[in-house]
Amino acid sequence: MKPAPFEYAAPKTIAEALDILGQNDLDEVKLMAGGQSLMPLLNMRLARPSLVLDLNHVEGLDGIREESSGLRVGAMTTKRVLEDSDLVRSQYPLLWESTVAIGHAPIRNRGTVGGSMVQADPASEYPAAALAFDMEFVVMSSAGERVIQAEDFFVTYLTTSIEPGEILTEIRIPRLPPGTGWGFQELARRHGDFAIVGALATVRVESGLCCDPRIVLFGAADRAIRVPAGEACLEGAPPSEASLTVMGDAVFDAVEDPLSDVHASAEYRRDLARVLSKRAMSEAMSRAS
Amino acid sequence: MSALVPVKCHVNGRVVETMVDARMTLADFLRHELGLTGTHVGCEHGVCGICNILVDGQTTRSCLMLAVQAEGHEIRTVESLSDGDKLHPIQEAFMEEHGLQCGFCTAGFMMAICDLLENNTNPSEDEIKDVLGGQVCRCTGYNTILRAVKNAAAKMGSAGA
Amino acid sequence: MAVRIPNTLNELPASQPRFVGRGIRRVEDASLLTGRTPFIDDVVLPQMLHCAILKSPFAHARISSIDTKEAEALPGVVAVLTGEDVLRWSYPAQSAPEGWGSHCMATDVTRFVGEPVAAVAATSRYVAEDAIELIFVDYEPLEAVADPFEAMNSDSPLVMEDQGSNVMMDRVFNWGEVDQVFSDAEHVVREKFRWHRMGANPTETFGCIAEWSPLDLSITLRGSIQSPSMFALGRASTFGLPPNKVNVISHPHGGSFGGKGGSRGSDITCMLSRKADGRPVKWIEDRIEYLTSGGSQAWDRHYEAAIAVDADGIVQGLDVQLVDDIGATGDMYGAICAAKPLAAFTGPYTIQAARYDLKLVATNKLPSGPYRGMGPPPHFFVLEQLMDRAARLRGEDPSEFRRKNFIRSDQFPYTIPSGNEYDSGNYGEVLDRVLELSDYTEMRANQVKAREEGRLVGVGVASAIEPGVFDWNAYAIVGMQGTGVPEGATVGIDVMGGVTVRVGFALEGQGQYTLVSQLVSDFFGVVPEAVQVVQLDTQSAPPSFGPGGSRLGVSITGAVLGACEKIKEKMIRVVASLMQCEPEQVRLLDGKFGVEGVPGAEMTVPEVAGTMLARSDLLPPDVDPAPVATHVWTAAGRTEPDEEGRAKSYLTAAHAVHVVQVEVDRATGMVEIQRYCLADDCGTRLNPATVEGQTDGSVAQGIGAALLEEYAYDEDAQPLTTSFMDYLLPTVFEVPEIEKVAVVTPSPFTPLGAKGCGEGAIHTTPAAIMCAINDALLPLGVQTTEVPASPRRLWKLIQEAQS
Repeated sequence: MKPAPFEYAAPKTIAEALDILGQNDLDEVKLMAGGQSLMPLLNMRLARPSLVLDLNHVEGLDGIREESSGLRVGAMTTKRVLEDSDLVRSQYPLLWESTVAIGHAPIRNRGTVGGSMVQADPASEYPAAALAFDMEFVVMSSAGERVIQAEDFFVTYLTTSIEPGEILTEIRIPRLPPGTGWGFQELARRHGDFAIVGALATVRVESGLCCDPRIVLFGAADRAIRVPAGEACLEGAPPSEASLTVMGDAVFDAVEDPLSDVHASAEYRRDLARVLSKRAMSEAMSRAS
Repeated sequence: MSALVPVKCHVNGRVVETMVDARMTLADFLRHELGLTGTHVGCEHGVCGICNILVDGQTTRSCLMLAVQAEGHEIRTVESLSDGDKLHPIQEAFMEEHGLQCGFCTAGFMMAICDLLENNTNPSEDEIKDVLGGQVCRCTGYNTILRAVKNAAAKMGSAGA
Repeated sequence: MAVRIPNTLNELPASQPRFVGRGIRRVEDASLLTGRTPFIDDVVLPQMLHCAILKSPFAHARISSIDTKEAEALPGVVAVLTGEDVLRWSYPAQSAPEGWGSHCMATDVTRFVGEPVAAVAATSRYVAEDAIELIFVDYEPLEAVADPFEAMNSDSPLVMEDQGSNVMMDRVFNWGEVDQVFSDAEHVVREKFRWHRMGANPTETFGCIAEWSPLDLSITLRGSIQSPSMFALGRASTFGLPPNKVNVISHPHGGSFGGKGGSRGSDITCMLSRKADGRPVKWIEDRIEYLTSGGSQAWDRHYEAAIAVDADGIVQGLDVQLVDDIGATGDMYGAICAAKPLAAFTGPYTIQAARYDLKLVATNKLPSGPYRGMGPPPHFFVLEQLMDRAARLRGEDPSEFRRKNFIRSDQFPYTIPSGNEYDSGNYGEVLDRVLELSDYTEMRANQVKAREEGRLVGVGVASAIEPGVFDWNAYAIVGMQGTGVPEGATVGIDVMGGVTVRVGFALEGQGQYTLVSQLVSDFFGVVPEAVQVVQLDTQSAPPSFGPGGSRLGVSITGAVLGACEKIKEKMIRVVASLMQCEPEQVRLLDGKFGVEGVPGAEMTVPEVAGTMLARSDLLPPDVDPAPVATHVWTAAGRTEPDEEGRAKSYLTAAHAVHVVQVEVDRATGMVEIQRYCLADDCGTRLNPATVEGQTDGSVAQGIGAALLEEYAYDEDAQPLTTSFMDYLLPTVFEVPEIEKVAVVTPSPFTPLGAKGCGEGAIHTTPAAIMCAINDALLPLGVQTTEVPASPRRLWKLIQEAQS
């Protein structure tokens, strides 16, 4: 279980990194961020790049900064940094919950925010958080910079809309509107495992009625998904058990073709989507003010 | 053979400057190139946690890092814990609480616990479990490891006070 | 020289044992904690090469051709091995049942995914893995069979064509008047059960370094080897060598639990070394190899079982039909796991008649092997579910129903229908203690409240026997031969009084070197730190099996104390001569030899040893001047099996009762263990701390078995759980605090009254958890019969109940 041979480059600037990308066959290059998903694939020889381009030495790709609209998180910022950030914990609690649910401490120490986003594992927490927050992804290429909205970013299993030759540099995370309640639920075989299914929910309650409800699922499809049909059931409805039941049924109907594997059948995942979205939304309702 | 690439880092307080095969994992480098065989390898895909070491003081799976990525970093392994013939408080605590049986996973646990206790000598049960939960032990059932962490925390807390 | 080995702590030559019976720190720990213990992958030999093995991706295929030219040409590659070499140089492995062994590498047909097809020795593991990718194999896929019931059909593909059938064994054993007790029964409870494949997964996989000596045709094999002498015999058989030409040097290893495996890899590296002109070849099995083709898969079982209960609620009969899916071959010895239940077939109960309808079936899965407990854990899972059902049928509390069926303490030694004899026990006391510890009445009251709130809370009470000190005769029904498993030790005292004990097994985790140190310390009045335990290779060691079958603690105690007694007898003669008294007057106590009736006439053990070794002028002429002795211990009174497989086999019967509280999430099927309490009785506890460690670890493995661990295959026999992402070991989050209480009923038959306890709680834990889950599910009117009780299975059951 040793990696196949490859060349290695560790550029110091984004320009240098883009330059190296420009000089190589893009199908043969793997960008390495924290490596917590890529290294197992290399060790198992399931990934066989001829060049590993290590982003760990590129300047300016890590750190958190808050602006009026929200957070700007460098793509190479480790999860540990978010976990340890009082700002994230107090002002972006849903992001913090999503962070600490990822794997275990050693994985979060090295794994990066950008790495998880680009890996786009359908059962991982961060892509779901991206949809919950309407995050924006800043990518650079030799042609310049472009911004991709979260809803356009995750394409399918392990695939994003980042083009070969582009590098994710920053994730912009808007603040949730004041009064937004949030909930986070996931079910894994063991604590820290990839989720079988997980759900994030946000909602505001205005004049006793639900407003802008949002439901995001992970582990329920080929990518993290929002469930508009479920959200529609709640818009303008009272935050009640009855509303949650209606919403849960709509989520169940909307999750059409979940994955089936050794840990969970498709029917089980579908039902978990119902159960966990209700639990997450129930938490969100109780937190909404 | 991959390309040989240079790497310079600190390992257990000593400068290491050499050429490595670009594809070599840090675990293999420490064990087979530097002879630091106290770090063991359990799964090589980042799940079991047995190969945990400290990189700049933070617990890291050494099977999920390339040797060349140690460049510029400070690496600590189990060999750095004891001081001559004096065991580290974490090692003493493991011995006192029977926190090990076969001992194969123990270095990984101790390094992760070192990361925890160097930052917090009064961790809660949940904080301890969060750290231990990232690793498997097949012998002990964890009860004695939990006790060892609490014992070590007390030792390190009183030493620091 | 016949020696009498102390059966109680009082018989040790110590006024008060200072070390035996106490949970002292382990002598092995300092080296382990500092990373200095040499595990096999830490070892580097001059000129050493590294092996990588190409494995079959097909469960069943004919190999039409293998092209190794490109691999051989790769710089760094020294040798490439294929089936052709293997046919030339080796024989098929021994197996149980006999005749179901295969070569270490596929020679024409592959029979399971992961079967070796070719192998490379190269200058590094990296290069070796590069090289196996350059070996090109043409496979002609054949139809595979993954289900043992399909495999028994006459139109099934044959796993081993020469056998003409996939049925390895099909026999019914009748012990007592089974038909009679079933026809007389007030209640018969019958059910089908499924226990899925799972297994050991020690944190260290198998590894070895083989050296073939071309001149004298001998082998030196270093490795993480649990049973070195058996391993040497196995290699000798593979290569047609006398066993003394195979020297096995076992290294300390990272656990084993029976599932270290490694025979195929060892044979392959031996032959690669032969091809590489005797250069040492190392193979470290990686985790994915271990999970797909290692020694870890055990107990793939389909049961139909029944108990017969009389009008008083006494269980009179047990009828067990087992279809055991052994996998592709019998050479990993999974079959002995089906035989071992004979040693405790009827558990802790007075069941008088039993039937075992046993079918061992070959499929195109990995050959199954041993795992901690060796087979009874699934058997007790089945028995305990039936006990619970019978108790419910009669409206009796499960703990009281068990109590009235227990073998009483005045009935020991007690012979069970399947032939084994239990040495001693106090089952009622064990039950009392755990009910007290768990506050069982309160637990039940809380359960009532929880049920009123609609929560699925359940309490499980399960009881089982751990047969201890294994004997080959227990496995006679699957073809294993022999009675007795000798274990030897050599104790020597040097001229300065230092004690060295030489044993034939490596460190594995159970703390046996500490135990050895405790024993000689109390015997000769020294401290454990002054005792050196040295491990010998198989060419140097006295007869030794090593750890396994809950045996070594008892056996090594017998061997060490026997050797100590022999030295004591020699020293007494020396002292008697020096003190000019009769040997009968000389006594050893607390490290000093004294003369009865002569106060102050004393010699310390080091003084006597020094005299023996350095003052021959003072010795009587007929005395052996070596303060050294070897003793080989084997259990007394074992018997040859009769035609129904009945024998006195395992020497001891430890007993436990576990009480578990769980809650099942009715929406998700997830199980949370809320409390875990147990009481157990394994006789005298020689080191209570290490005994508790074995118990804790075994509970954890039992939790894994009950809730998490499963080797899944698809219908084409492709493995689906090939990494630690899918084969799930319990972590600290899944193992709760384990509350324990001990009862001590010494064995009348063993050294110091100790019983085998290494396999321990896994005999009881899965049964207890499954009883608790089914208790939780009662209000829904459904019961689970499948292990592990994974959330998807429980969810489905709950859905069915609610629809």
